[in-house]
Amino acid sequence: MNGGKVTLGRTAGLYAGAAVLRLALFTLFPGLPDLLTGRVEISTPVTSFKRLQEGLFLYNHNVSPYDGGVYHQAPLLLPIFNLLPSFSTFPIFTYLLYIAVDILSADALLRIAESGEAGSSARFTSPRRDKRWSGAVIAALFLFNPFTIATCIGRSTTVFTTCAILHAIANAISGCHFHAMIALAFASYLSMYPLLLLPPLILLCYDRQKQPAGPRAPDAWIKFTGTMVMDVFGALAVLFQMSFMLTGSWEFLSSTYGVQLTLSDLTPNIGLWWYFFVEMFDSFRSFFLAVFWLHLSSYVGGLSVRLRQQPLVVITLLLGIFAIFKPYPSIADASLFLGMVPLYRHVFPLLRYSFVIAAIIIYATFLGPAFYHLWIYAGSGNANFFYAITLVWGLGLSLLVCDLAFAVLRDEWEVERPEMVGKEIRQI
Amino acid sequence: MTARRSTDHGAAGDTLSSDTQTATLTSTSTPMATPLEPATAATSSTLEEPPPEKLSDVRRRIWVIVSFWLIVLLLGLPIWWKTTTIHRANLPLKEMLDWADGKACRPVFPLRISIQANSLQEQEAQNLLRLTQHALDDLNDFSGHHLRLQLSSPAAAQKQKDEPDTALTIRLLPGEAVTATLDPYEPVLDITYPPNAAPSATSASSTLATYVAGQLRSTFAEEQAIISYLLSSNSIPSDYRPQGLTPEAAESLAKRTTRSLKYAPTYHLTFSLFTSGPLPSSWDIEAAIQDYMKPVLDLLSPIHNFTIDTQVQLYASPGVQNQVLSKDDLSSFINAAEWPLSPSIGGAPTVNFIVFVGNQTIALSSQQDQDAVAEGGLNTSQSWLIPQWGTVYLLSLPHDTAHVSVDALKQPLLTFTSHLLSLTGTPNSGSLPLRLSTLSRIRSADLLLRASSTLGSLARLALALKSISIPSSVADGVSKTIVHLRRACETLGEAEGLEHARIAEAEAERAFFEKSMVGQLYFPDEHKVAVYLPLLGPVAVPLVMGLLNELKAWRKRRREAAEKRKAKKKE
Amino acid sequence: MKLSNIIRLPALLGAMLLSTAAVVEAEHTSNWAVLVCTSRFWFNYRHLANVLSIYRTVKRLGIPDSQIILMLPDDMACNPRNAFPGTVYSNADRAVDLYGDNIEVDYRGYEVTVENFIRLLTDRVGEEMPRSKRLLTDDRSNILVYMTGHGGNEFLKFQDAEEIGAFDLADAFEQMWEKKRYHEILFMIDTCQANTMYSKLYSPNIIATGSSELDQSSYSHHADNDIGVAVIDRYTYYNLEFLENEVRDTSSKKTVGDLFDSYTYEKIHSNAGVRYDLFPGGAEAARSRLVTDFFGNVQNVEVDGSKNTTLEEDMLALSKTIAALRKKADEEEAISVGKEKSNAPEPETDMKNETLVTHKSQFAKPLTDDNWLMKKLSALGAVVGCAVLWQMGSWLDPAQK
Repeated sequence: MNGGKVTLGRTAGLYAGAAVLRLALFTLFPGLPDLLTGRVEISTPVTSFKRLQEGLFLYNHNVSPYDGGVYHQAPLLLPIFNLLPSFSTFPIFTYLLYIAVDILSADALLRIAESGEAGSSARFTSPRRDKRWSGAVIAALFLFNPFTIATCIGRSTTVFTTCAILHAIANAISGCHFHAMIALAFASYLSMYPLLLLPPLILLCYDRQKQPAGPRAPDAWIKFTGTMVMDVFGALAVLFQMSFMLTGSWEFLSSTYGVQLTLSDLTPNIGLWWYFFVEMFDSFRSFFLAVFWLHLSSYVGGLSVRLRQQPLVVITLLLGIFAIFKPYPSIADASLFLGMVPLYRHVFPLLRYSFVIAAIIIYATFLGPAFYHLWIYAGSGNANFFYAITLVWGLGLSLLVCDLAFAVLRDEWEVERPEMVGKEIRQI
Repeated sequence: MTARRSTDHGAAGDTLSSDTQTATLTSTSTPMATPLEPATAATSSTLEEPPPEKLSDVRRRIWVIVSFWLIVLLLGLPIWWKTTTIHRANLPLKEMLDWADGKACRPVFPLRISIQANSLQEQEAQNLLRLTQHALDDLNDFSGHHLRLQLSSPAAAQKQKDEPDTALTIRLLPGEAVTATLDPYEPVLDITYPPNAAPSATSASSTLATYVAGQLRSTFAEEQAIISYLLSSNSIPSDYRPQGLTPEAAESLAKRTTRSLKYAPTYHLTFSLFTSGPLPSSWDIEAAIQDYMKPVLDLLSPIHNFTIDTQVQLYASPGVQNQVLSKDDLSSFINAAEWPLSPSIGGAPTVNFIVFVGNQTIALSSQQDQDAVAEGGLNTSQSWLIPQWGTVYLLSLPHDTAHVSVDALKQPLLTFTSHLLSLTGTPNSGSLPLRLSTLSRIRSADLLLRASSTLGSLARLALALKSISIPSSVADGVSKTIVHLRRACETLGEAEGLEHARIAEAEAERAFFEKSMVGQLYFPDEHKVAVYLPLLGPVAVPLVMGLLNELKAWRKRRREAAEKRKAKKKE
Repeated sequence: MKLSNIIRLPALLGAMLLSTAAVVEAEHTSNWAVLVCTSRFWFNYRHLANVLSIYRTVKRLGIPDSQIILMLPDDMACNPRNAFPGTVYSNADRAVDLYGDNIEVDYRGYEVTVENFIRLLTDRVGEEMPRSKRLLTDDRSNILVYMTGHGGNEFLKFQDAEEIGAFDLADAFEQMWEKKRYHEILFMIDTCQANTMYSKLYSPNIIATGSSELDQSSYSHHADNDIGVAVIDRYTYYNLEFLENEVRDTSSKKTVGDLFDSYTYEKIHSNAGVRYDLFPGGAEAARSRLVTDFFGNVQNVEVDGSKNTTLEEDMLALSKTIAALRKKADEEEAISVGKEKSNAPEPETDMKNETLVTHKSQFAKPLTDDNWLMKKLSALGAVVGCAVLWQMGSWLDPAQK
């Protein structure tokens, strides 16, 4: 707006800075990538780079990558890394790939921020929308978030999902709904759970589509929704077919999505599932698996209905909920959610617990690794130590989700009741 | 409710909170949002009246609640039902118990015996056959074991012999006197008779016929005894049991079953050479097995497979150090703690054959025997059999023997071979081919009975343990078992019968030992409350409260609408 | 004359069968021991020592390792707090190192669970379970089941997570009985309120004994000040004392009744209980069982009499001939079949002669570097395909440019 060139230069500098920081970390601390790759907070069974290498090795040697039950990631990740020069000899190419993906994600986030969708959507315009951060700031907050950096250095494959989700949102906002749906299909293909973002994303696309002037046909939304759904599933079908051709069997479905659905790998992570299912009686296991998945997906409908006016908020809140309640969460999911939150700079004054939330998240960030060490390496603690800290972490994130939802709703409500602006309210 | 509304914004907050009372907020907001009643709002005197809730807001709230409840009702409930019911596949319990009680199958071995009487007239032969059959039927007291005679014509003789259904062929040959000899190579009984012994076509009795019948009966006596013992020990109803089983005979039969290994399609034979010192350190075991044991293994191959491994261990000290071993010592001779005698390779049961090179000798219990040992040891034995386990053979060799030759192994191997036969349960009497065919019949009956009793056990367990889950694979296994049992029962005594019995037994075992049938054995209902409540309770509270509140509001709206209508009508 | 011959034959036969060995009653042919410790952590040292002492005893009395199932949830010998690394002692005099150099733990660490224990008893295990971890008993097997740990009224705690109930145990034994998996069982348990654990058993042929009654604790015997914890429980200690002093080897004729009579309140500090009613013949029959019937491995052997070499050689010659005959018949058959078909070689006859040859099969897929180029090409294809798909979005949205 105020001189495209300056902005371009600034963002280019920002991206360059982020890339240099990451490269420096990669090269100056050669032990760091492997250290971070081994951390359970960063690498989950479905995103670990180590497991990816195992799968790649098997794949390169003409064995099904899913043999041995180590690799649980999408098959199409394999050809990408197969084409890169071997990781053991030229790791720099892998580093560059991860850095590029991070910057692409940041770029998509920048586009989202610049669109101003967070403050004024098609059906709702916040009175506070002027108070916002520029895209560059938001991109910087994402790129220099320690969680994002750690994920990048740890080479978790979540970054691909993150990138696809952000591009889906950015494209939906800029009106390219087909592109958005294909991006969502990529995200769902890689991690499955982003498919739950489909309803709010369709709403977002519908609101942002550029229509010719004049009234729309009353049932236009049915056609639109149908097209979008077909688009996503068409793209997914193409991806599945390609995976099938690549691996030669449908085994990948059960080894990737099956593992997420049945939680067959109980490696500890920062989520709430693993401990629960370690302890669960076998006869109730399948029931509570279903309950957990239903719980995860039940928010989609409610939030979409309640926040129909601001679909981007729905997506943001859902990303926060996924970061807490999905089967194999990592800090990468938290970093995506935390990257989206600054878009709502305008409602920050309405947040009530920002200090508590920040304190809890920092507390969990430092104590989590310490307790994990006590449990696994020192042997002086047990699993409860680590699980307790993941509960605290989940509490911090869910407080943030709740508080953000509260702030956005209050913002909406103040439009309705302008006389209440700035006054204290209380729930009854 | 009014008390809570302490500030002037309480009423306004209502719209907000009631709309967002999703589970997201439950962690922070404990008091439930309740729609404000105008009446109470009016009482809060000085406060300004909140604007009435918009219709669109009400509808939206209903949609939110419905969206949650739809998931609970349409997905949650069916999943709960499906995942927590204990799956109990339908088992044909009655039929299974019938098998176990012997009601479903009457094990009958129709043994076909063909008579070749080339030298007799057709008519005479027929008569002889009829008379012999009569004599047999008179002698036979065990209906499960039926010998049926048939005449084989000379032309068909060659064919008949090949036919596997024929258990025994009797060759009647004219000779000097009445004699009977079993052919050692084939299941053939040669009976010679003097010319005058042959019955005429019309005579009503014949000594030859009685003789033949007696011979047949004695030939199959052991088989009969074993099978009837099997039946009786498996609680098959008594009318099939022979009456003439003496206690001694029963005891020896019990001993026989104790000695013989449980049937397995494959046995693993371990040949071990243990030496008390550094020598000998090698042996020609492969050649010895090839020479002295392989032929018998080949003969047994239709019934069992064998895998073999061998080992040598030097400086092996036995469990008993005495120079002269008494019978009591023998049972602790095996040094189980130090000898590596339990290869856990494969799934087949192991039969151990041990050659111990040392200078110990066995003294049979009495004093005289010990004297004999001192004199030259002719009367000592060198080996003993451990029931269901194997054989130990004490081999004494010159001190400097470094290598045990094939010749030295001949005697041990021959002992092992004969012990292997008795370990596999081969009967002792008769010629070798007959013993083997008897073995296969005994094994068929044994397997049949074991499969039946497993079915019975499974049925009784299914009845007794109500909370055990029965996966459908068990039901499949049971139905397969029953099918094969039925076929085995029909074809008892034939090669096919053994095969069916074997499959039936394997299937029955698999069904009984189904891995997923363990799990939750004793899980009282109060434990279930403890499982459900802490997890589903917190989720259920906002859902249920939201629904109740909405229902209340809906009823109130209806009442108001009705009143309004009434008022309108009045106007 | 001939008739008398016929009548005599069966009698002869019977005599022959009997002649092979002395008369025996229906006895057991194998002895098994299931020794279970259910608690972990250093302060439960004594429980592991209890089990290892019994393990040492049954091994001393001849039960081979393959027939002992030993469940140890923790490794005291390698515990960093152990002042005598690599050893476990059940007595402060530290005369006998129970860990020794030859101990075979079948289930260790977190493998010791209620489920695994019940699976072991009922043999409901997967194909992958090795024979050494299975209880391969049959209706001729005597089993000693010894359990120790922390328990309560009708339950025994397994590690820190779960517990086995008296009902579960009773049902497991009943399943074993139904499947004829034992001949007789001696069930022995050393834990607090131990006698409640066997109160629910209902399957026959079981003698049960426990260390203490309902609401009674089971006490430790003494502590070793250098190790720093109690090293053995009283009940097990006095059992061992009896076994060491009175049952020196397998020839001992001490009975189970003698063992039970040695329990006194003065020694054990709790009322040890015994249950005979499941045993056919009741207390009398149960008490007359030898201690070595359960703690030892005593088999009735059959000693061969003087050799009759010729008979066996005859048999060998016979089998050779018969095998040759059969082979010939098979070959003839093969030839006739071959004539009908074509002159293809017959693999079956070869197969039959190879029963002795071990077949080795390779299940793992080999790792090869073949198709390197194809891999790269297909990978390229896949990546290009993804890129095309991604781009398709832009093509489908032309209006937005």
